[in-house]
Amino acid sequence: MVEAAHPSSPNSEPRSAMNLLLVGCSHHQTPLAVRERLAFNEAQTVAALSAMRHCWPQTEAVLLSTCNRVELYLGGEKETLPSAEEAGAFLAQFHGLPHNLIQPYLYVYEDEEAVRHLFAVASSLDSMVLGEAQILGQVKDAYQLSAAQGAAGPIFHATFQTAVKAARRVATETTLHQRRVSIPSVAVADFAQQVFDRFDDKQVLVIGAGEMAEETLKYLQDQGARQITVVNRSAERAEELARRWQGRAATWEELVEAAASADVIISTTGAQQPILTAERFAQVTAQRRRWPVFILDLAVPRDVEPTVGDQPGVYLFSIDDLKAVCDANRRQRDAELPLAMRIVEEEAAQFMADLHHKASAPLIIQLRQGWQKPKEEELQRLFNKLPQLDDHARAEIRQAFDRLVNKLLHLPLDTLRNHARQGVPHSLMDALAKLFRLKE
Amino acid sequence: MSRMGIICFAASYGIALLLEVSRLWFRSRLRGVVILGCTAAGLIAHTLFLGYRAFTVTGSPLSSEMDWCLLAAWVLVALYLMLLFAYPRTPFGLVLLPLALGLIGAAGWWASREPYPQAPASRVWGLIHAGAILAATVAVLVAFAAGVIYLFQAYRLKQRRGPLGGFWVPSLEWLDRMNSRSLGAAVVALAVGLFAGVMLNWINYQQHVPPLPWSDPLVMTTLAMFWWLLVALVLAVWYRPADEVRKVAFITIISFIFLLTALAALLLMNTSHGRNRNPWQEQSGQAPQVSVEPYVWQESSLRGGICLWGPAGHGRSRPPFVAQLRT
Repeated sequence: MVEAAHPSSPNSEPRSAMNLLLVGCSHHQTPLAVRERLAFNEAQTVAALSAMRHCWPQTEAVLLSTCNRVELYLGGEKETLPSAEEAGAFLAQFHGLPHNLIQPYLYVYEDEEAVRHLFAVASSLDSMVLGEAQILGQVKDAYQLSAAQGAAGPIFHATFQTAVKAARRVATETTLHQRRVSIPSVAVADFAQQVFDRFDDKQVLVIGAGEMAEETLKYLQDQGARQITVVNRSAERAEELARRWQGRAATWEELVEAAASADVIISTTGAQQPILTAERFAQVTAQRRRWPVFILDLAVPRDVEPTVGDQPGVYLFSIDDLKAVCDANRRQRDAELPLAMRIVEEEAAQFMADLHHKASAPLIIQLRQGWQKPKEEELQRLFNKLPQLDDHARAEIRQAFDRLVNKLLHLPLDTLRNHARQGVPHSLMDALAKLFRLKE
Repeated sequence: MSRMGIICFAASYGIALLLEVSRLWFRSRLRGVVILGCTAAGLIAHTLFLGYRAFTVTGSPLSSEMDWCLLAAWVLVALYLMLLFAYPRTPFGLVLLPLALGLIGAAGWWASREPYPQAPASRVWGLIHAGAILAATVAVLVAFAAGVIYLFQAYRLKQRRGPLGGFWVPSLEWLDRMNSRSLGAAVVALAVGLFAGVMLNWINYQQHVPPLPWSDPLVMTTLAMFWWLLVALVLAVWYRPADEVRKVAFITIISFIFLLTALAALLLMNTSHGRNRNPWQEQSGQAPQVSVEPYVWQESSLRGGICLWGPAGHGRSRPPFVAQLRT
């Protein structure tokens, strides 16, 4: 654990020349064995943020820890910001790991690169499964936790707000998030939900105990499925699975009856021959009163004879059908990636320009105030010379002077804003300061 | 005024339809807003047009074939607008807007026809009849839309096709529910409309106006559609084999064809529905020089479209003509 040092709050106005630093590791280069040792749960995150505030009191910090990444975002003035090595050492030290164990896996991004990376992460462009929806929630949670601890201030407030905005733009302007690429998610979202509107009143029958069935069932339960029946050749195994999935177990002999009352059938046995043959399904059909029926055959070799899918009211999907859709979705996602990246680039560039422009804000305020004084003096002199002016005429003259000042200032301020797109406009700011004798 | 007004809101719906079609080819952030704007603007113009006709031209809504069609189209577009808010990614407009435009086109066809003849005694039944038939028509059109989308969705799923990029098609269950409810609503509304029509015929019979015969093409197609829908509803409720939903979808499509036939009967065939019919002559069996005086609309009065049909063949003595008949 890092020792506490100087408690202080970073919640103050953003100052000039703000710097951002990101140190972290992700699924791209870091093995799971290292990632899991570096991961932070909520309590650890709170403790780490508290320790960082003591170590680097003038620095804002957000710690993002998910299954696929651990990233420490730091922001503040250059002089007070810790170095990348110090930040990396902090992460290692917090978990009691030798620094050289994690050092090879850490990546470091600064300023605009850090912003661009955060925006890409929030938009799920850096995720293991491109376009997965959870990461945006995790980014928001990380920021909110940090803000609640007083570790995130104005810099990260603006940065994470814009990251969320960029992620929303990616979600609405591309189809990245609509294209699912895992077989269970495609099975439920792209097919089951095209057949059924709701699942809380549907009977789900699981035949076998494959891992894929469990994942599919999780998706169905997320959609509200509650009535689950498990059929397995082993009655004990069926009981065990039914208990785990909060369903009921049925014997192998009850398969036809269970299938007749099911709306969704998921089959994942290891049988070498089809279980639901056309003949057996004819028995099911004879007993059925509920239509349509959605059948997911996730077994290899197949559990359901393909001719069953030709029957009216039966929507049968094999693992190959689902895989074909997954592949098509993946290709379409890849095709959408350049557009998503362009959105992230735009948002990052705009954010950095705003940030750089903020650096010149104190100078602009001084400049405006400096011009107000001679304006007021000249107005006063004019009003003294022309005492016959009524209030209306005075107001008109005052307005004309204000417009003149604004017009004279417009060009230099506009130039300053344009230069802020390339970085903090130090040379222009120096020139302005010298020309108008402003304090930098 | 009529033509310009109709073209104005029909063009708005046409643009919305073209934008709905464009979903098939490209994505756009603005499209949804423009569709919403065009449809809403068209609906406002449509409402103003109906209001203008009701208060200045015909005296009430549903008082001519033209108004009846325009009101049915208005209901369809209003429904589409609600669905657009609830399901922005589902292109209901691809089916509903052509139906609305078809009704507007039929209204344009009928623009030169005279309003229905009105009689104060039958105005309540006339309103019930016209309103119920209008509701039944809209319900059949909605059921048709749900049926077409159902068949499209079922076909896609049978072909194991993944979701479409530009838009989301509702689930089979949702479409089935929409189809069945619309079918039920159509049967009830049609039953009410037919009953009100029979009552109107009976009132006319009391007033010595010849009833609309059962053999009238419009009456025959409407009755056939009613029985067809009733059978479909009974099938859907009591008997549900595997392919029943698809069959119900087909049934609603055939019901739509019945509806088109009924409209064609009004448009092209020799129907006396909604037209002036001379009252019977007292003794000689020949029609006297009498006519039903068109009811003059007054601000305080209500008027409705009148459908006249009832049992054919009346030969018994009849009460004296009422005051509104003139020789």
